[in-house]
Amino acid sequence: MNAYAKQKSRVPVILSFLIILAVYVAVFIAEQNLPPTSMLFTVLKKGATYALVAVSMNLLNGFTGIFSLGQAGFMLVGAYTYAIFTIPLSQRASVYQYFDGGIVQFTLPVPLAMILAGLVAAFFAFLIGLPVLRLKSDYLAIATLGFAEIIRAIFQWNQLGPLTNGSNMLRLFPNFNDFNIRNADGQVTVYLSTLIPFLISGLCIALIVMLIHSGYGRAFKAIRDDEIAAEAMGINLAHHKRLAFSISSFFAGIGGAMLAMYQTTVQAKSFTSAMTYEILLIVVIGGVGSVTGSVFSSFLFVACSEWWLRFLDEKQIIGDFEVPLLRNGFRLVVFSVIIMIVVLFFRRGIMGTKELPDLFRKRRIKPGKEG
Amino acid sequence: MENVLNIEHLTMQFGGVVAVNDLSMEINRGEIVALIGPNGAGKTTAFNCVTSVYEPTNGQILFCGRQIARSSPSGKMRRIYAGSNANAYTGESVRLSPDQVTRLGIARTFQNIRLFSGMTVFDNVLTAKHLRRKSNFLTAALHLNMAEEKRMREETHELLKQVGLMDVEDEMATSLPYGKQRLLEIARALATEPVLLLLDEPAAGMNPQETEELCSFIRRIRDEFQLTIFLIEHHMNLVMDISDRIYVIDFGKLIAQGVPDEIQNNPDVIEAYLGGGDE
Repeated sequence: MNAYAKQKSRVPVILSFLIILAVYVAVFIAEQNLPPTSMLFTVLKKGATYALVAVSMNLLNGFTGIFSLGQAGFMLVGAYTYAIFTIPLSQRASVYQYFDGGIVQFTLPVPLAMILAGLVAAFFAFLIGLPVLRLKSDYLAIATLGFAEIIRAIFQWNQLGPLTNGSNMLRLFPNFNDFNIRNADGQVTVYLSTLIPFLISGLCIALIVMLIHSGYGRAFKAIRDDEIAAEAMGINLAHHKRLAFSISSFFAGIGGAMLAMYQTTVQAKSFTSAMTYEILLIVVIGGVGSVTGSVFSSFLFVACSEWWLRFLDEKQIIGDFEVPLLRNGFRLVVFSVIIMIVVLFFRRGIMGTKELPDLFRKRRIKPGKEG
Repeated sequence: MENVLNIEHLTMQFGGVVAVNDLSMEINRGEIVALIGPNGAGKTTAFNCVTSVYEPTNGQILFCGRQIARSSPSGKMRRIYAGSNANAYTGESVRLSPDQVTRLGIARTFQNIRLFSGMTVFDNVLTAKHLRRKSNFLTAALHLNMAEEKRMREETHELLKQVGLMDVEDEMATSLPYGKQRLLEIARALATEPVLLLLDEPAAGMNPQETEELCSFIRRIRDEFQLTIFLIEHHMNLVMDISDRIYVIDFGKLIAQGVPDEIQNNPDVIEAYLGGGDE
């Protein structure tokens, strides 16, 4: 009887898959037909990147109940790993001009470098997790925040220059535009520079969702709901927390690599704690404990900050009337107000803990609960 | 008869307060044993020592003949130790974590219900099966352990049927009425496949009818799951009805032990507990 009921509820899942597929198709079609300089693609690329990082943060904060603020640090590690190993040999002399072309004298293929970016970030997380994960809530947040700041300083250290290029930026590594397929004349025939980040991000998020729906995901949630009970049910707290922390950082590292591709340059000083707060904000606005919410609010957040609210930073004149207050920086004021409104009145975020399929389920169940 | 649990000279001291003082007891396979005593007597502390939430100050605990805790006062505690047998358990100390103890086969419920509030009834029980898994996180994340997952789900379903929670399995755990939450906690503990089940005030907050049902329920699961049960309880009716043997502690010290009839007529117990005007 139960098996039957479970099978019935597959429809919302299939519907969700169709929606996601439709989004991908729409992205592909839009990319072929709209000018590639359109703001839309900037938003989509950065949104896809932030979506992955936000979901990875949600895995920690929302599903395991570990309040970590180290995301920018792990992104930095990922971004640098990716950049260091993919700068073409011919360009190394000019990128590492102060460090004799650097010490890394080989390049890895892009997919391999991205996986390595994740692995290095996860390795850092594992090491840091050993002492730090004994802490709880705010203390853990402060410790991880401290880690992110330290790692930022270390990567700018001149002695590490041959590897990290010191405080100079890394550049000329493959970026999203290199995914476009060009013909012999260098003309783009098929635009893929937005679709590929969507695919990478989508694949990673799918893996996270699968993890959440496995036994380990349940164990994570158990730790979130009640650590003492979880431990009494035989769940090894240290092991599972470390696992969640490393996995989250793995995907944050890949997110960092994607951010490097999006920005086309990497510089340690741009991975500030403000970046972590942005991502935390995305997670909170989307709903702590909802993957769908994180993804959705990433795009919303990026669109607002990069595109829709830009007009607030410039003088606007309607007819003869000059709109007051609009000047450089006003966007951030409006943004802060929006955030405060969200936190005050929509405390559970856009989605709460619901996922995409739940949106269809709700409507089905309401008229007379079937047994 | 075979001993499942041996507690030997257990002393638990917090700073200058001796919560459990030189407690020794044994529980045989298949028995239902109750630990009773007035409020603050140290019952839950004793439980927490058995499940390794606390590290005992002194003494030793054996589970099926295997040491699960052994320690003697050390460091500062050596100076301020107020219990007895200070030098009986020196040498290598043994300390397991609570999850290791559960894996060995001791499951427990909590005095103040501790369900996984963000999960359904079904998932609460399913999560407790996690410790018997064979998959690692990679195979689990890639859903390569379908057979194991399917088996765990079937077992969970079966277990919920046995304890009578099948009709509410898709509801959120915290939306259940109080009595059913208690049942669910027991079901969750059973899902870890224990040998010894520790129940910390299972009848707290239940009305007389529910208490009576609980009584037969505990007997039933003891038989169906071949359990040994060790419980703390305040409801005297339940304790006297269900227990094979009873231990009574007061101010951390064992003051009486025996079968229910003996306990009921023991003057020390009446003095300390039943005469206290509580019941």
